[in-house]
Amino acid sequence: MPIEVRHLTKHYGELKVFEDFCIAFEEGKITALLGPSGCGKTTLLNIISGLEPYNAGSISGLDSKSFSYIFQEDRLMPWSTVEQNIRFVLRGRYTDTEIGKITEQYLKMVGLEQYGHYYPRQLSGGMKQRAAIARAFAYPGDILLMDEPFKGLDEELKTGLVQSFISLWQKDKRTAIMVTHDREEAQRIADDIYILAGKPLGIEEKIVGNGKKC
Amino acid sequence: MKHFITFLKNRLRSVFAIIFWLIVWEIISLLIGREIYLPSPIHTAKVLIELAADFTFWLSILMSVFRVILGFMISCFLGIIIGIVCGLNRFFYELFNPLVVAVKSTPVMSIIIIALLWFESDNVAIFVCFLMCFPIIWTNVVQGIWQVDENLLQMAQVYKVKELLVIRYIYMPSLMPYLAAGITTALGLGWKVTVASEVLSSPKYSIGGHLYNAKVYLQSPQLFAWTGVVILLSFGFEHVFKYAVENINKNKLLKDV
Repeated sequence: MPIEVRHLTKHYGELKVFEDFCIAFEEGKITALLGPSGCGKTTLLNIISGLEPYNAGSISGLDSKSFSYIFQEDRLMPWSTVEQNIRFVLRGRYTDTEIGKITEQYLKMVGLEQYGHYYPRQLSGGMKQRAAIARAFAYPGDILLMDEPFKGLDEELKTGLVQSFISLWQKDKRTAIMVTHDREEAQRIADDIYILAGKPLGIEEKIVGNGKKC
Repeated sequence: MKHFITFLKNRLRSVFAIIFWLIVWEIISLLIGREIYLPSPIHTAKVLIELAADFTFWLSILMSVFRVILGFMISCFLGIIIGIVCGLNRFFYELFNPLVVAVKSTPVMSIIIIALLWFESDNVAIFVCFLMCFPIIWTNVVQGIWQVDENLLQMAQVYKVKELLVIRYIYMPSLMPYLAAGITTALGLGWKVTVASEVLSSPKYSIGGHLYNAKVYLQSPQLFAWTGVVILLSFGFEHVFKYAVENINKNKLLKDV
């Protein structure tokens, strides 16, 4: 079932971010949202994930769905190690043994297997972002929301992570929505690409079936 | 080695400051020349040593320490629990806030006198210590809850982490600095109000009772010796609690995450 946003309206006081905005995200596909800074892409992800309310409209296809979310900031608990940050979101869903295995697996995926016991303050910005990516991938969310997930990473690491992401995604083909500024990155990863612009936000261009996977 | 030298230097500075003020005390005492107004530090120390030879001295200290700890622990327990509830829920905050403001604004003497009507002399100090410390702990816990990073709460919300886990692993570590500050302040106040309550309620074994007797019989050296005991105990407690709170290994809180 696709996620369909219909006639969405969202105001911040006088500022109209969305006015009668409609967009659809195909199930089991990766959709990229491209657009200038501050146009409302992150707000759209927050609305879909339920973090932000909206003034009018409807969103379908989210019934009892769970989310994995890679935020723009790492949002790691500073008093917990990288490993504990990942374990935190898995508690109550798996047994301790399973949690241990999953944590190890995803730390390895992002190249942080040696840094599990490090605190966020001991890591570089890129490493923290990788830890946040590991947390999002480790969590079994039905829908994966990614807000500039590969920002601040060097090209080599980014390529590796994108490849890991694609191979992971191939396994269960979760519906994924990715916000990015990088057109090339969108073309490498996404099935569908929406180019957004304007205030209130509108769809400038839609590229369906992009199909270029790495 | 470098750290050890710095530590020694700091200690020496503290010792020097104490010796300096003791000398000032001695000089002022000599200038006044009447022990009844200001006994010399040497005489006070002598009296303190004499008092320490008596079993009652230690029993009185023990009972006062017990009252402070009990009153303080009750205020911590209730202050933390009710503070968390009020920090998380605006309705409960609005409900408790007038009560806390009223307690904060009430003079200690009024509370002691009211407590004298309600409780036996042994329990007055415990109640007053609790009542005076509670608003400080409560206020700091509420402030700590309100200062929790909204981004972390959103993260926990998206990942559907259970409320109890959020309280334990996000709220509790966030409010630790506020709680530590509250505990330090409350403990200092707790000593003062407990001794003040003991002075007025005169339980059988208490520092306050001895202070009262020293005042009645114009025994200034005893008065100063007992005051010194209160200062030393308050100082000691503050440091022990500060050390304990600051050194709570946050990993221990999170070991089973």
